[in-house]
Amino acid sequence: MSYQWRFDVAVDNLPVLLEGLGHTLLLTALAMAIGLVVGLALALMRLSGWRALALPAYLLVETFRTTPLLVQIIWVYSVLPLTVGLTLSPFFSGLVALGLNVAAFMSEIYRAGITSVSATQTHAALALGMTRSQVLRRIVLPQALLRMVPPMAATWVSLFKDTSVLAVIGVAEMMTQARIIASDTYRPLEIYTLVAVVYFVITYPQSLGVDRLFARNRVKE
Amino acid sequence: MAPAPPFLRVEQLHKRFGELHVLRGIDLEVARGDVVVVIGPSGSGKSSLLKCLNRLEEPSAGRIFLDGEEVTGAGVDLPRLRRRMGMVFQHLNLFPHMSALENVMEGPRTVLGLSRREAEHGARALLDRVSLADKADARPVELSGGQQQRVAIARALAMEPAVMLFDEVTSALDPELVGEVLSVMKQLADDGMTMLVVTHEMSFGRRVADRVVMMDQGVIIEQGPPERIFMRAEHERTRRFLQQLAWDGD
Repeated sequence: MSYQWRFDVAVDNLPVLLEGLGHTLLLTALAMAIGLVVGLALALMRLSGWRALALPAYLLVETFRTTPLLVQIIWVYSVLPLTVGLTLSPFFSGLVALGLNVAAFMSEIYRAGITSVSATQTHAALALGMTRSQVLRRIVLPQALLRMVPPMAATWVSLFKDTSVLAVIGVAEMMTQARIIASDTYRPLEIYTLVAVVYFVITYPQSLGVDRLFARNRVKE
Repeated sequence: MAPAPPFLRVEQLHKRFGELHVLRGIDLEVARGDVVVVIGPSGSGKSSLLKCLNRLEEPSAGRIFLDGEEVTGAGVDLPRLRRRMGMVFQHLNLFPHMSALENVMEGPRTVLGLSRREAEHGARALLDRVSLADKADARPVELSGGQQQRVAIARALAMEPAVMLFDEVTSALDPELVGEVLSVMKQLADDGMTMLVVTHEMSFGRRVADRVVMMDQGVIIEQGPPERIFMRAEHERTRRFLQQLAWDGD
């Protein structure tokens, strides 16, 4: 007896899935915002040349870059409450883990972008009488930003997909919704296929856009 | 008549990069309005000397005075010091994300806090002074090397510096572009700007310098009026250096 596919069941539940999609997008946007801000701070700490700042930033970045995201999420959700006594909702635990994970990768993008602007630019700006922070704000970051946009956009795209890992702690994003529907309807094959299609439909155009950004950047060099 | 006190005075300046001792006790005085041309073989410390003056490089020892005020040591307001010493570099280093006009406006806007209108007014006048008024909206990549260096001169002048430092500003240029930059510098000298010019263009030294300073291996080995240095240098090392330049030019 062959399997009877019932995609109508999956499609009937599409609204519930899309409700989860709203959370997925919100988590992506918030984690990205954390990543952009904290990542810049971490990059500046590491570039400060001041060991007391550089070392903690280095340790944080490397910890988040060399452990699996799944482990980070579970750790923040279940170990942090026991060790620090800080209990966060699944949503906030997930957001903190995801945000710091993105920040670690962002800081490396910022760092590469900033160091790619040549020292002669900094010299020219300092010679005009600018302070270090004016040089960074007016001269270095605007030039670095152009080079940072493509890898940051790529990070956004993988972040969008990575939010699905938050299902493991039950954050009500799209993957969690899919799991709930799948067990309610006993139609996991159809539901998980549909959720894959939704991720694909949203990710693919963005991924093409990222490719275009990289190509455009290359021509400029 | 007693001579005017030197506007810029350097006393026993030393600079070390680790083991490398690139400046070994430089003493130098520059009077207001003087043009001092610094010559010498590469590696003699000429560039390091200029960069120590506005402290882009930190001197290892020695003192520097500008207009009677010591500018070495801790506690000196470095941005303020650098505002008073305009600098143009060997490398073409206009800000690539800004137009020529915006490059010249950047210092007055960001450092001096001038309004856009005031800064633009001054910047346009300066671009006119370096004969680039028609290139105000051009990006650096759209300009020749010579034009970029003239904008860089205007950018430095926008801060109304008391001294201008030129660090081999024509070395990176194609030969046919050197003249336009040197003539802007000559005009500046004629207008009475105090200038310290590191260059390999001996014709500039001959025509514009009030004094020529010969450096070798981190020390000043002789200095004097251009006619004496170029025609009757006392030191064998200076004569040999000038001779080598002449041959290289053939």
